[in-house]
Amino acid sequence: MAELATSLRRGTLEFCVLAMVEHEDRYGTEIVRRFGEEPNLAASEGTLYPLLSRLRRSGWLDTKWAESPSGPPRRYYSLTSDGRSALAHFRTEWVSFRSTVDRLVGTGEAA
Amino acid sequence: MNTKNTDVVAEYLHEVDVRLAGLPVLQRRELLADLTAHIASEKAERNIQSEGELIEVLERLGSPEVVAAAAHEEFGPAAPPPAKRTISWYWPAAAIAGVVLVLFICFGAFFAQSSSGPEPATKAPATTEPAPMRS
Repeated sequence: MAELATSLRRGTLEFCVLAMVEHEDRYGTEIVRRFGEEPNLAASEGTLYPLLSRLRRSGWLDTKWAESPSGPPRRYYSLTSDGRSALAHFRTEWVSFRSTVDRLVGTGEAA
Repeated sequence: MNTKNTDVVAEYLHEVDVRLAGLPVLQRRELLADLTAHIASEKAERNIQSEGELIEVLERLGSPEVVAAAAHEEFGPAAPPPAKRTISWYWPAAAIAGVVLVLFICFGAFFAQSSSGPEPATKAPATTEPAPMRS
């Protein structure tokens, strides 16, 4: 069951991350903590940092360090225009993908 | 108490770092900086005092094995293919170049021996020299 969750997460989690910084820049700990609270996405928090790093290197996220009002400096993540188009593309793909799976597996309403 | 807390964190980061061997140095450094910043944020924002609470923060991050495995998964696959490709074409190419060179030397020696006179003898080294460049 854990393997199934891992497979489903792979390929979708990064878009959940992109969506999280779509309207507002967020810092690492904030993003990571948020995912830790999601039962279906719950992975060890530390595993999200390599993912964030990859998204930054592929040009979908931008980062900058900023002072925090209370505590150590924070690394803020923001969505680049490439990241924005990747997210838009995913949304289109996902909707048709989901309906195909629903139809074939029998989880859709029309099934 | 404070030094003890630092020890737990330092030990954790060291255990992660050890398992990042083989990854590009910048990505190793970036991940360690991210983890360090995460732990510092958690400490400050959750007002963590005890070692027990700090260990909880580390447990939520995941074991060094799990975190390092994720890093290898994200950064790893990109690194090996170029190395493999270099090796896979380099060795046959080197072997062919070697064979060609040996053939040229043999031909050179053959011509120098079979034909008499100073003219081919001076020609022979001239043909062997540019051969490796052409191959």
